[in-house]
Amino acid sequence: MLLLSGIEMEEEKKDMIKKVSVLMMVVITMVMILAGCGSKEGYSIGISQFAVHGSLDNCREGFLAGLAEEGFVEGDNLTIEYVNAQADAGTAALTASNFVTKKVDLICAIATPSASTAYNATMNTNIPVVYTAVTDPVAAGLANEDKTSVGNVTGTSDVLAVEEQLGMIRRILPDAEKIGIIYNTSEANSVSAIADYKEKAGAYGFEIVESGVTAMSEVSLAAADLVNKVDCITNLTDNTVVSALQTVLDEANKKNIPVFGSEVEQVRAGCVASMGLEYYELGKQTGKMAAKILKGEVQASALEFEIITEPSLYVNTAAAEKIGLILADSFVESAYECFDEIVVE
Amino acid sequence: MALILSVLEQGMIYGILALGVYITYKILDFPDLTVDGSFPFGAALSVRMIGEWGLPAVLTLPAAFFGGVLVGMCTGIIHVKLKVRDLLSGIVMMTGLYTINLWVAGTGYVPIFNKETIFDNEMVNSIVPSYLFQFKNVVIIFLITMAAKYLLDWYLRTKSGFLLRAVGDNDTLVTSLGVDKGLVKIVGLSIANGLVSLSGCLYAQQQRSFEISIGTGAVAIGLASVIIGTSLLRKITLIRVTSSVIIGSIIYKACIALAMYAGVSANAIKLITAVLFLIILVIGMDKKRR
Repeated sequence: MLLLSGIEMEEEKKDMIKKVSVLMMVVITMVMILAGCGSKEGYSIGISQFAVHGSLDNCREGFLAGLAEEGFVEGDNLTIEYVNAQADAGTAALTASNFVTKKVDLICAIATPSASTAYNATMNTNIPVVYTAVTDPVAAGLANEDKTSVGNVTGTSDVLAVEEQLGMIRRILPDAEKIGIIYNTSEANSVSAIADYKEKAGAYGFEIVESGVTAMSEVSLAAADLVNKVDCITNLTDNTVVSALQTVLDEANKKNIPVFGSEVEQVRAGCVASMGLEYYELGKQTGKMAAKILKGEVQASALEFEIITEPSLYVNTAAAEKIGLILADSFVESAYECFDEIVVE
Repeated sequence: MALILSVLEQGMIYGILALGVYITYKILDFPDLTVDGSFPFGAALSVRMIGEWGLPAVLTLPAAFFGGVLVGMCTGIIHVKLKVRDLLSGIVMMTGLYTINLWVAGTGYVPIFNKETIFDNEMVNSIVPSYLFQFKNVVIIFLITMAAKYLLDWYLRTKSGFLLRAVGDNDTLVTSLGVDKGLVKIVGLSIANGLVSLSGCLYAQQQRSFEISIGTGAVAIGLASVIIGTSLLRKITLIRVTSSVIIGSIIYKACIALAMYAGVSANAIKLITAVLFLIILVIGMDKKRR
């Protein structure tokens, strides 16, 4: 009898603990929701970045610089909340809806998945979305074919300078026939870029050999296989492959095959050359667009998306030396920026 | 307010997924990884139907459900006829479905921002006054979730439903009744994946896009919801198990949303979720030890 009542008391205690903890969770919830309802001074911007790699980071820094030039300085009249989705689409969606809950004045979305989740989350609100590093806003459903916006969303696009890149590769490798491209089949920006490359490669006497992967873990196998079939490799603005750049470089260096990047950070990290975008400048341009919107001068829906039309030549002589590739002096001198060492962060 | 609506929307959509996982995991005692493939399958199918084929959104619901049923049947056939282990048949299907989903959707990312969805179409927009627009999604999802739940409750009380529960607990009983237990398992897997696929279809329309990676971890979310729901609400007999599974899903999503709202870094969210999950499991586990 005593044993039974002892167990009953234990059960009651456990019940109490359960009830108290549930109550506490409810109270904490309410406090947090109420706290969030307070107003902040100045403007607040939520930055949703899709992944961690140099190009996207450059965009973000450029964005903040662009805002600062127009009078919005972090800490003074601007609060920034920066969340990186670590290449997870679910986190990007959660981040976007979180920013909407916090009623930020503007969302800056860096890369396509962050842009589309931000647009979706803000559809029934007044919060404008300014994106950057979205290779194909039309394919992503964020803009119409004539560049006009589909809603309270606008930004800048890092459309690849395919013609210029092909021309550059031809200059460096006059005898090359096949260019290899590794891309993630699930990144729409890559799929449309591959189509673009295939269309234009013929005019320069190239054949494109593509290798599709589904995750970063597959890049090393794809690279090891591809280097046997091609004369060189070129990169797209594919988040997966760019994040795994060192793996690609490793495999390519073993066969002394040059890898051409799509922007400056990749060249710095070991790609031989690139006709690339200056992502920092792209970010700055985005920052200025955002500033105009925050000042109320114009609505996001009225702005067409912008692109940078002039790619710049970046060269890394150390990377060329590593694979025994000789670059003409005149070529190196014509570069916008030349690196003589490989910097791996 | 936006936070609460978002949590309820996501919680109920994943609640339907949890109902599917409940059938396979708890009733059939079959850890079904097909879910990671059938969830995006429903999404891919609905996006293809709305986007490229321009069909009315309301058709996506039955299409996704029956598509999921087919997927579940395949898993069942692989398990029963080819005698592959439960876990492995799920893995085989999940892997194959990656390609099929890409094929059905067209590419790895398909936006349907300007198309009519089940939440945003002429009929709905004409009935609901514009100041109530933000509640549109929640109400429609609620109706669909309740419909799915009640249909499942009704099914579980039929003879077929009882056989389903018997197969999970004591399959010799089923054989002794003269029923093919393999067939019962296939039926269970079909219904479960039908529900999961339906959940994916709603998810894609709520997000207004399809992304190939939405399936990764879906089974984990489903299991978490099932276990949270059943552990926490076990003692409240007024709530039927199917409802508690849906509530478990809402609680799970609420925890994640609150963690992010409170400023926890995106990297830490998964760890926090794991810790919360552990706490809930421990609180719910006490009864079993006696």
